Amino acid sequence: MNTDAALPRRALWWLIGCQFYVILPHLTRVPLWVLAIYLGAALWRLQMHRERALMPPRWLRLLLGLAAGGAVIASYQTLIGLDPMVALLLVASALKLIESVRAKDGYVLVSLGFFIMTTQFLYNQELPVALYSVVGTLLLVVSLIALNQRPSGSISRREPLLALRMLGLAIPMMIVLFLLFPRIAPLWSVPSKNTQATTGMSDVLRPGDVTRLGRSAEVAFRVQFEDQIPPQRELYWRGMVLNEFADGAWRTLGWSDHPATERKLDKPIAVGESLKYRIIIEPTMQHWLYAMPYAQSPTAGVFEAWDFRLAVRKPLESTFAYDVVTWPESSLQPELSPWRREAELALPSNLNPLTREWVERQVNAVGNGPELITRVLSYFREQPFYYTLQPPKIDDDDFVDEFIFQSLRGFCEHYAYSFVVMMRMAGIPARIIGGYQGGELNTLNNTLIVRQFDAHAWVEVWLEDRGWVRVDPTAAVAPERVEQGLEEALRGQEGFLADSLLSAYRFRSVTMVNWLRLRYDAAAWQWQSFIVGFNSDEQIDLLESWFGEIKVSWFVAVLLGSWVVVLAPLIWWMNRSRSSSERLPVEQQFAELCRALARRGIERAVGESAISLLVRAESELPAGDPQLVTLRRLADELYTGD
Amino acid sequence: MGIRERLNRITLRWLSRRLPPARSITLEQRRLFIFPTSAGFLFIATLFIMLLTAINYQNNLTYGLTFWLAMLFIVAVHYTHGNLMGLTITAVSAEPVFPGQQSGFTLRLKAGGKRSGHYTVYLEWPDAQQVVDVSVGQDTTITLYQSVAGRGWFHPPRLRIESVYPLGLLRCWSYAQLDVQALVYPKPLPASDTPLPRNDDGVGGVSDSRGLDDLAGFRAYRAGDSPRHIDWRALARGQSLLTRLYSEPSSEEHWLDWEDFDAGSVEQRLSWLCWRALRLDASGDKFGLRLPGKEVPQSSGDRHREQVLRELSLYGITSDSGEVVS
Repeated sequence: MNTDAALPRRALWWLIGCQFYVILPHLTRVPLWVLAIYLGAALWRLQMHRERALMPPRWLRLLLGLAAGGAVIASYQTLIGLDPMVALLLVASALKLIESVRAKDGYVLVSLGFFIMTTQFLYNQELPVALYSVVGTLLLVVSLIALNQRPSGSISRREPLLALRMLGLAIPMMIVLFLLFPRIAPLWSVPSKNTQATTGMSDVLRPGDVTRLGRSAEVAFRVQFEDQIPPQRELYWRGMVLNEFADGAWRTLGWSDHPATERKLDKPIAVGESLKYRIIIEPTMQHWLYAMPYAQSPTAGVFEAWDFRLAVRKPLESTFAYDVVTWPESSLQPELSPWRREAELALPSNLNPLTREWVERQVNAVGNGPELITRVLSYFREQPFYYTLQPPKIDDDDFVDEFIFQSLRGFCEHYAYSFVVMMRMAGIPARIIGGYQGGELNTLNNTLIVRQFDAHAWVEVWLEDRGWVRVDPTAAVAPERVEQGLEEALRGQEGFLADSLLSAYRFRSVTMVNWLRLRYDAAAWQWQSFIVGFNSDEQIDLLESWFGEIKVSWFVAVLLGSWVVVLAPLIWWMNRSRSSSERLPVEQQFAELCRALARRGIERAVGESAISLLVRAESELPAGDPQLVTLRRLADELYTGD
Repeated sequence: MGIRERLNRITLRWLSRRLPPARSITLEQRRLFIFPTSAGFLFIATLFIMLLTAINYQNNLTYGLTFWLAMLFIVAVHYTHGNLMGLTITAVSAEPVFPGQQSGFTLRLKAGGKRSGHYTVYLEWPDAQQVVDVSVGQDTTITLYQSVAGRGWFHPPRLRIESVYPLGLLRCWSYAQLDVQALVYPKPLPASDTPLPRNDDGVGGVSDSRGLDDLAGFRAYRAGDSPRHIDWRALARGQSLLTRLYSEPSSEEHWLDWEDFDAGSVEQRLSWLCWRALRLDASGDKFGLRLPGKEVPQSSGDRHREQVLRELSLYGITSDSGEVVS
């Protein structure tokens, strides 16, 4: 067969379509000139098809390739990392299209197409992406069939149907493999995403940072509780601990900032009732996870940091599922080391003189115990503070002075910032906690959806014997924020969801839209928890629940066994139509007769014709033998028939 | 004998034992071979890279797609196999030809099974290749041309039947040794340089035309009648095919005698006889053929020519082995 055959016309159309389809979702990330290259290549190829352009000569193609590679390097400043590699892949496949004139080039394009689709999964594994890729797979398989269809064959309708049938038959075995294929650890470290854009909370907090998140309805994470869901006002999803103030911003004290003795986790004692829940978090490109304190996680790869956060070693590049057990009543760090006390009290002495003066007055009146906290909170409650997503910008170094005596308009981080400064001035160790508060309950599957606009900043103060205690100054100003959520707290204000104009969340007052939205979210939870979050732990749990204890030999046996179980019916089904029942009746009779004759010692030689067999049989059997008569008739029919 | 040659012979012997010649061959399980194409290996390599990606990025969707495509490959094995299975190839006829020409072998393809046909099937001989689609319930007849060797029976080489349909990732093929043979005539060599026949009846005086006077009547056309004798005018009038009969051939009668050409080798003599026979046939003369131990009585017409040529072709050859005995 000629492998240098020309690329069939119809296959060209399918291939161009497929390529565009698989490149499309990448366009949100890659520079737009990649699309320009692709469109240029497709146009050129179509002009070649219409014989209005020639294939560019080899040197020009080489030059184009080098130029495109150079453009990728120029765009990304590097070739290392996932992003430039994907861009390079897209460009390469676009340029390959120009020189695809042979059928074998078509196979290269299809393979590239499958691989481009795979790279999309590295960025996003959500349900819509999966569905999009199922259609993409179908299109690519149709292209493969089109590559093998005769040009004259006017059976274009059959291609998609055949592709659908073949892919359908492949599904049962795919599921078996998906469930049974051992999930081994990465073989080597792979280039990660260069995406600078982290989403959600960052480990540096300036006034205005959380405010920004209030404009987005994107999902941060979803939570499913094993039992009762705690009331809304208790749902504080603790993430970052910000304890160092410098240059107008709050930062986290890193690992290297800690003296060796302070790096160890001072493990709290589990006390009282526990809460169990599972969180599936969208990629954040950060190390830390969110949970209610005090939290422990049995999930592999999750560890507890010295400040009672949960964290992972590598930044979260993809959706991640982890289980959490929380003991809300446990006290965090009842003993404070002198180093930590000093660190959590550190404050530039020259800033905010008015506040310092005010705080000193309060301390003189009530001391620096819990009563001071009540005093400060009631100040927030009584003064005309205003909770808003659009606070005036304060550039002053004396931020707290300006905020609590002048503007009085701010979002949660303004209150948390001011409160921590006031506590530290009074000599109470305090720090800002960044995270999320609240969440929307999806009653369809009892999951809690926490969105970016649920981002929140609050405070932890350290009290003798009680350890770190949560204080939320925002709750003093706008209690509805923690009782009912941000939207209620901002009723009548602008700015909320300003960045999510088309989010279904905006239209949830329409009953139908809302139902669909929650239905979809429930499906997304299922998807992420069973498909995306399926890992070796889950695999072992699942298999153990089915088969009991797992041994390696066993695993292999089950893998092979299920293979046979799934494959055998398929083979049977495929061969059904061509089995012996399809043979002509006369041939079948002949085969039966041959078996009968063989039992009588007249064996048919391989390939022996019926006539020759008849001649031998005539010499050995009596003339009137019934089998001989049948043989004569069959030989006659076989000879005169086909 | 070199090892390679010996291996080749062993393979061929094995093939002919496994796939014995027959006039009609139905492709079935034991006749079919299957192996990935280069595109198939590319596909497997892609899957391997995808699997590594899935492992290294711990990406379940990539695992899923990889497994799906891997299983598609397995399904494709059955589909590619199924595309040839059940196809019946029957040798219908072979044109007799002169050496150096190509004989057209007419093959009839018939789909097995009830649901799907056989698509993009390649039929290959060293000289010929053809692609066919065979739909269910519809026989497809094709003619494959193959250069023939010397005089006698020509057995076409093993026919290679191949298909990569539907995905092009796997190649399924089979060999069919069709029990069909083409008659190859002796190569006609001009006989003018040869010694004149002893009893020269005169080759000259050939008249190509026949006057209407000789016309004796008509009879219904029979296969083998010369097209030159068909009454085309009657056909044009809407009557059935009629052959004109002539009462008395105007031409002379000749004998082509083996003994007349004793100067050359066997093949040369046959070639000269062949040339003479063709000349006499073209002139419409009656002629007969005398070969050692064989005689074709004097006659004329296409059928007669075929018979004479056949005798010349098969002189000294046993019926089906295709080897020259003498």
